[in-house]
Amino acid sequence: MIPDTEVVHSAQSLTSWIGGVSTGIKELSANVASLLERNLLGKAKVDKAALAGLDKLSQEFLAKNTYAVGAGTFFAHEFVEHGGQALEWWSRRESGAIGRLDFDQTPGSSRYYDYEKLPFFSTAAATGEQTLWGPYIDYLGFEDYILTFTAPFSVHGHFTGVAGCDIRLKDLEPRLMPILRAIPGDAALVNASNRVILGNSGRYLVGDRIKTGSSVQDRIALDVPHLGLSLIYTA
Amino acid sequence: MDSPTSFQTQIYRSLPEIERADAIVDRISKAIALGLLKVGERLPPEAALSEMFGVGGATLREALSELREQGIVETRRGRSGGTFVVNQPRTRTEAIRDWFLSTSISEIRDIGDEHSAVAAAIIRLACERAEPHDVERLQELARALVLAPTPEKRATADSRFHIELAVSAQSPRLANAEIRIQEETVQQIWTPLAVAFDPEQAAAEHLELVRAVAQDQPEKAQGLVLEHIRRNIFHLIDTKLTLGYSQSTQDAQ
Repeated sequence: MIPDTEVVHSAQSLTSWIGGVSTGIKELSANVASLLERNLLGKAKVDKAALAGLDKLSQEFLAKNTYAVGAGTFFAHEFVEHGGQALEWWSRRESGAIGRLDFDQTPGSSRYYDYEKLPFFSTAAATGEQTLWGPYIDYLGFEDYILTFTAPFSVHGHFTGVAGCDIRLKDLEPRLMPILRAIPGDAALVNASNRVILGNSGRYLVGDRIKTGSSVQDRIALDVPHLGLSLIYTA
Repeated sequence: MDSPTSFQTQIYRSLPEIERADAIVDRISKAIALGLLKVGERLPPEAALSEMFGVGGATLREALSELREQGIVETRRGRSGGTFVVNQPRTRTEAIRDWFLSTSISEIRDIGDEHSAVAAAIIRLACERAEPHDVERLQELARALVLAPTPEKRATADSRFHIELAVSAQSPRLANAEIRIQEETVQQIWTPLAVAFDPEQAAAEHLELVRAVAQDQPEKAQGLVLEHIRRNIFHLIDTKLTLGYSQSTQDAQ
């Protein structure tokens, strides 16, 4: 069945908006990679000197992209000098000020933020491609209900870490709802695991899993590479 | 006098400082709304205020800082300084409209998730623990909702029913959780901003809940209470969509 023009139009608008985020993250990770190549000067491990200027990249990204609440870089531990700083993450506070976000980096501590095991890191590391994780509650991290976009980067040909941004579901809603509300019936943006990111009515609520088999709805895959997003709608 | 019921002890428990500060905020806001204090007028000095209200300096400053945050008063330094009334307080309807505009659908859904957990536990315990006189009282409170003449009174009647249900479950922690959730949402449910909420249906659902409790049917009661909350949350989401995004359909085309 051919989808209605409103649905096609909304799918295009969603693709274009999310594609914009995706491109922004790709640029950020490319900038992080070239900065590290310059700073490292052939050294194998990331030390303090190698991080110079990385804070600027996060701050600039946040200043330019007001939809994001956090942005920065996480390194694979094996590339970080012993006892060194393994991440550089900045976030926007309630007041609007941008500040560095601290995570507990002590393995074994009860509040240890083991990001290498989190899908926004591990998926990007395993596939070598951009990824989107969420909606999820970022316990011990930003501690809010967010989406995280990341892209892996390599230095001297080795995967070294990921760069990316966080978007609060609360901030995403006013940006994408007008697009979804243009569809007359029930519709929702869903992620690769069929979880609702945003719906245009009470029928599809953020966080719900759309069970396979209960397919009374149709679906258009969004053309944003590697993110696995779709628009589902009731025909 | 009879010994106080568990609900009464809940009401008359000693006031924490924060509630005394809230009471001051409420008193001054109401006085401005009623025109007893006018915009431009200077409040008495802090020392005099804390003596008149009978509170400590910290509590008074807490109240003034809340009033400043709401933009109702302003404190100016210097010889002709002091705390001045600068704005009318927002009406309840405005405050509720602001709540809808600043609260996202994901947050409303989350309130519903928490309320479902709390209410499901409460009603299961109420089935086990409520006595016949609790049941009678709950029936009365359910009927009171239909008789309430204004949206505000319906809100009070609705939350009163749920809080007394929690009281009959004999868990102070669950009762406190229910009170907190009611305070957070009940005015939003009943204030008719976009779609009016039907008191007849809500009252009928409350009576069904009481019947299930009286007959000690925890499974049925839990199913009913979850459906009841789901309906409330859908109503809040509908209101949010209408107030926050009703222009979208036209704008996006």
